Amino acid sequence: MAADPSAAPPAADPDGPDAVRLTWNAWPRSKIEASRCVVPLAAAVSPCRAPDPSAPPPLPYPPLRCKPPCSALLNPFARVDFAAKIWICPLCFSRNHFPPHYAAISESNVPAELFPQCSTVEYVVGGAGVPGAPQAQQGAPPPPVFLFVIDTCVIEEELEYVKMAMRKAVALLPEHALVGLVTFGTQVHLHELGFSDLSKIYVFRGTKEISKEQILDQLGLAGAGRTGFPKMPGQPGVPQVNGMHPPATAGVNRFLLPVSECECTLSTLLDELQPDQWPVEAGNRAIRCTGVALSIVSKDLSEPVRSHKDLDKDAAPHFQKAVKFYDGLAKQLVGQGHVLDVFASALDQVGLAEMKVAIERTGGLVVLSESFGHSVFKDSFQRIFEGGEQSLGLSFKKWVDGSTNTEELVEGFDQETAAVVLARYISLKMEMEEEFDATRWLDRSLIRLCSRFGDYRKDDPSSFSLHSNFSLFPQFMFNLRRSQFVQVFNNSPDETAFFRMLLNRESITNSVAMIQPSLISFSFDSPPSPVFLDVASIAADRILLLDAYFSVVIFHGMTIAQWRNMGYQNQPEHEQFAQLLQAPHEEAQMIIKGRFPVPRLVVCDQHGSQARFLLAKLNPSATYNSAHDVALGSDIIFTDDVSFQVFCEHLQRLAVQS
Amino acid sequence: VDVKGLPRPLDGDEEPAKVLESYPLNCHPRYFRLTTHAIPASQSLFTRWHLPLGAVVHPLAESPDGVMNYKSLEEVPVINFGAAGVIRCRRCRTYINPYATFADAGRKWRCNLCTLLNDVPGEYFCALDASGRRYDTDQRPELSKGTVEFVAPTEYMVRPPMPPSYFFLIDVSVSAVRSGLLEVVAKTIKSCLDELPGFPRTQIGFLTFDSTLHFHNFKSSLSQPQMMVVADLDDVFLPLPDDLLVNLVDSRHVVESFLDSLPSMFHDNVNVESALGPALKAAFMVMSQIGGKLLVFQSTLPSLGLGRLRLRGDDVRAYGTDKEHTLRVPEDPFYKQMAAEFTKNQIAVDIFSFSEKYSDIASLGSLAKYTGGQVYHYPSFQSATHGDKLKHELSRDLTRETAWESVMRIRCGKGVRFTTYHGHFMLRSTDLLALPAVDSDKAFAMQLSLEETLMTTQTVYFQVALLYTSSSGERRIRVHTAAAPVVTDLSEMYRQADTGSIVSLLGRIAVENSLSDKLDSVRQQLQLKLVRSLKEYRNLYVVQHRIGGRLIYPESLRFLPLYILAICKSLALRGGYADVSLDERCAAGFSMMILPVKKLLNFIYPSLYRIDEALTMEPDRTDGSLRRLPLTMQCLDTGGMYLLDDGFNFLVWLGRMLPPEFVNNILGVSLANFADLSKIQLRECDNEYSRKFMKTLRALREKDPSYHQLCRVVRQGEQPREGFLLLSNLVEDQMAGTSSYVDWILQIHRQTQS
Ligand SMILES: [Zn+2]
Ligand SMILES: [Zn+2]
Repeated sequence: MAADPSAAPPAADPDGPDAVRLTWNAWPRSKIEASRCVVPLAAAVSPCRAPDPSAPPPLPYPPLRCKPPCSALLNPFARVDFAAKIWICPLCFSRNHFPPHYAAISESNVPAELFPQCSTVEYVVGGAGVPGAPQAQQGAPPPPVFLFVIDTCVIEEELEYVKMAMRKAVALLPEHALVGLVTFGTQVHLHELGFSDLSKIYVFRGTKEISKEQILDQLGLAGAGRTGFPKMPGQPGVPQVNGMHPPATAGVNRFLLPVSECECTLSTLLDELQPDQWPVEAGNRAIRCTGVALSIVSKDLSEPVRSHKDLDKDAAPHFQKAVKFYDGLAKQLVGQGHVLDVFASALDQVGLAEMKVAIERTGGLVVLSESFGHSVFKDSFQRIFEGGEQSLGLSFKKWVDGSTNTEELVEGFDQETAAVVLARYISLKMEMEEEFDATRWLDRSLIRLCSRFGDYRKDDPSSFSLHSNFSLFPQFMFNLRRSQFVQVFNNSPDETAFFRMLLNRESITNSVAMIQPSLISFSFDSPPSPVFLDVASIAADRILLLDAYFSVVIFHGMTIAQWRNMGYQNQPEHEQFAQLLQAPHEEAQMIIKGRFPVPRLVVCDQHGSQARFLLAKLNPSATYNSAHDVALGSDIIFTDDVSFQVFCEHLQRLAVQS
Repeated sequence: VDVKGLPRPLDGDEEPAKVLESYPLNCHPRYFRLTTHAIPASQSLFTRWHLPLGAVVHPLAESPDGVMNYKSLEEVPVINFGAAGVIRCRRCRTYINPYATFADAGRKWRCNLCTLLNDVPGEYFCALDASGRRYDTDQRPELSKGTVEFVAPTEYMVRPPMPPSYFFLIDVSVSAVRSGLLEVVAKTIKSCLDELPGFPRTQIGFLTFDSTLHFHNFKSSLSQPQMMVVADLDDVFLPLPDDLLVNLVDSRHVVESFLDSLPSMFHDNVNVESALGPALKAAFMVMSQIGGKLLVFQSTLPSLGLGRLRLRGDDVRAYGTDKEHTLRVPEDPFYKQMAAEFTKNQIAVDIFSFSEKYSDIASLGSLAKYTGGQVYHYPSFQSATHGDKLKHELSRDLTRETAWESVMRIRCGKGVRFTTYHGHFMLRSTDLLALPAVDSDKAFAMQLSLEETLMTTQTVYFQVALLYTSSSGERRIRVHTAAAPVVTDLSEMYRQADTGSIVSLLGRIAVENSLSDKLDSVRQQLQLKLVRSLKEYRNLYVVQHRIGGRLIYPESLRFLPLYILAICKSLALRGGYADVSLDERCAAGFSMMILPVKKLLNFIYPSLYRIDEALTMEPDRTDGSLRRLPLTMQCLDTGGMYLLDDGFNFLVWLGRMLPPEFVNNILGVSLANFADLSKIQLRECDNEYSRKFMKTLRALREKDPSYHQLCRVVRQGEQPREGFLLLSNLVEDQMAGTSSYVDWILQIHRQTQS
């Protein structure tokens, strides 16, 4: 029943030019019909995907909008009456007049946004600045703003890694980008980068919740409140209010400066930045005020950071309060148009589970690694700044025609999208609902789907078969049940939050890789080819490359490892072996290059301790329970999990039950 | 009355050195001066002595030739008892001293204060000669000298001796910036870094503030200091656990870099607010572990946070009412509470105030008052005018030898008891003065009372003990011991009276009374004391000497009437609302509470010299010292140039008929072209007169380095400056509402006869 992965056609871009995928590319006839689909009708949209080089260039003018409340943008699906200079919105069917500057349009002179290939298009939007940012010159878009927030409750070595990464990042920023720096440990330090040639820092207490208004007031940025602060030397003629107080607007650019002006200051600051100076009592954690006033855990080290068990049992005393805080923060950030990116590197948890809401709501990035020295952090962080500036992208939904019967529904099923939508759905349910049994829920959904869309005779499991559009779906569900999204107890809440955030933001193709890793075999016999995600794919003379999205594993079979250890690859007569060894590494680099955050790369050998990174993802077709029919050179997995074969047998039996 | 014949203290203070002739084992009177070196034997005698009975103590007085010689503390013999431990009376804790006697072949010593017979420790034993004197008496300073210093063993420490620490709290609001104050302060501190006591242990730190607090990180590994702003005034906290108060040697380059950039750092500051209260809290948090000196530079009325003050004292109607005195005491208890906290943590506060407007010295000064500190007042500070004065006085404050973490107790023999203390300190228990820091510029006064109706002893002993940490980190006890006879004769009390000590004590009592009473009644009380005392004296002699209507007074008190008149006319107590600004009055009051006798006398009765003659005379005739003149207009010749010196300020008065060339030479500009003398800065010019004149000023200043006289010039008839700069200081002349010396004497005379 499992589809052979090697048979799958290599699609150009499975997510399509519009980066929109639906679970059902056919419209159910009725509400009842829709509810019987089991997998909900859903769309996955990636509005800000990295631009495709083949895509049409951005349009240098603002888009036309449908009248409110619809406000949809003019698009190729609109019906246009060129004579009357009217377009009809395909979403709400409103009639809209073209504005005067569109007067020249005709059937032979169509604006780019109406080209059929422009179902996805970018506009360059100028004008209005981000609130709180300094006024840019008239017309020009406001410069991008980067506010770095660095945790200093780390050991010297880790801080050095961060500094290194920061220096690289600053060097990569465009000259006019505005930069700000906040460091925090026991207290919060806001660095006034524009203060003469000395370093000046505003300090906020870590144990106290301070409102936005209080902060503005304390920084002298509040409208009429507190009186003035030292103004920047060399700042030409700041006009004075009442002859004494500098105006509030003179303030923000003390903290956010163009890279070109503060590179030197930043570099000195980074040189002298030290780990938090406050003493940490023996047996206690450093007091770290990530959210100011907020604790994820008490400072006593003997109390571990909350686990999934604690969260389930409601035994994490700080959790709800913290989530609520970040929820409020998220609203504030969204309101101000700020994005929160989090780079967490620690052996212990840092509270990502609590911060998740603020990262997600603001569309922020998240990277989780064990150390700031780890390439997962270093390369990911650098990657952000290499891209340079990006304009604001906008894209449209694809139009789906209404369809009618089951047959058409089956034809329209997108099993990858469906798997991802279910994965996101159960992630949300696991977060929101106490006592939610994800495994049970998935099993029941799969059984219902198979009953509804499978071909079978009632009560005859052997007669069961599935349309090819559904053929991969049971395997997706099998792997989803075993994935980090469902088996959360193997990870910390922070890791789970990290996985879920990426699942929620990535494309369908990438998300499928998170649920069901891909496995490629490299051997002398055949060119690199996908193989079953099964323990049986392990062979002594093979190299396997596992892409589990968050990690990429290169696994050498026993024989390969022996040869490598004997150094054959260095002998000219074994050049072919050297190439075989090299190939999976090149492939892995390709994968890593195209991914953010950078996945963790594990290189291991059969029977080595790191091999568990591969084995955990494989179908346990051969376990110690079934060791009798293991092929030579293969492996067995020590697990009580059922194999995919057993899973399918159960599924068929239950699906056909009347 | 013969005006010219009236007694005038033109030789200044007369130290009662003759006491040493009869009591050679006493400490020198510069350390300890009774108001009369004769203790009344009975309560009834005591009640007939209407002047205060008490003493002025100046525990760290410099020896007269110790001017500019900061080693004077070392001149006192230092004794280390080693294993024997400091030898003290078992019962009353008196330290062994020259008046202790030995008995039982040297195995016992008798306490001269309580007469208890104590064992002599084996290590300290020495045989006695035939007269009962220890053979080693002359080799042991504690048995032969009135002033000694003991090295205190660990039981005299509640913690290891702390290093000297200096923490500067600097208001950097707009007025501080505009007056040029920051530059003077920064430069002065930098120039003193090598001379701060306690090398290499000295600690230093700075906190600047306006509407926010700016801490400064001086971590030695930094290349330049880091400013850390805390703006939460309601909940002050430290931005760093260390490095705010640092070892000067380790962080010297960071501190110097800070001082170099301090003026430019705030050059453009336009902030008008001053959060002094929160800044004090912050300073306390930084210093509380070590203690030390906190120097506050305040340029405006504290306006934000705790301890914010309001304008007051501009209400004329309060004067003469029961509410008048409230203007002279702190309104907000914050300052006294803060001072108590500071003292508890061994922090002494010096206030440097610079405001051109009212800055409530009454409130600010209480920080100094209860911590053993000092108040410096530079109204309307401008660096061009006041820069030198501030530079010298701040340098003096920073480099003078200072005793740290100290307590002072004065013991006295049976029958007498010290009841009240007057000065800057915090009274811990009934007779222990807590002094977080004390130096050679601070004197203390105290009053005695009799405990018994009849004294049974012939002699009363006094012992001043100052336990302190030296700048070098040693715990020391400085001990001054003195004896005074018990007398049964009032005339003996008059004969042994010490006018300087009496005036010092009376002045302090008057200033204190002005904090709870109207100025007018304070002056009346002073007058009443004088009248009663002279009347008592008259009664003593009138019969036997048939003196009839003449005013008589004892020789020892011949200057007393004039000094009391001078106290009444002093800045702190003269006139009413319009005569002295409230801040100046309070500042003068704070000074009078700490001044040693000699300085106080010169402050209330300043020195007046004619100097044009000295400058124009041949060189061989000018080496003689200047001759002091009575403080009256009648001494001023319109053809002369005069100099008035009250220890804090110089005033140069130019007679109308002075030759213009002479004046121009002295001033360095043509007087005709330079109408506004208040803007004149006297500098040495390239001519003989100017050089001699400046040399004279230098010589006068060097006589006493504790303050630096600001020099101002006024022309005869230049009103109103002549009025408040000179005429108000001519205490012998009659001024609005006050008596002339002659009238005063006549008044007193009349009252003594009634
Ligand atoms: Zn519409
Ligand atoms: Zn005794």
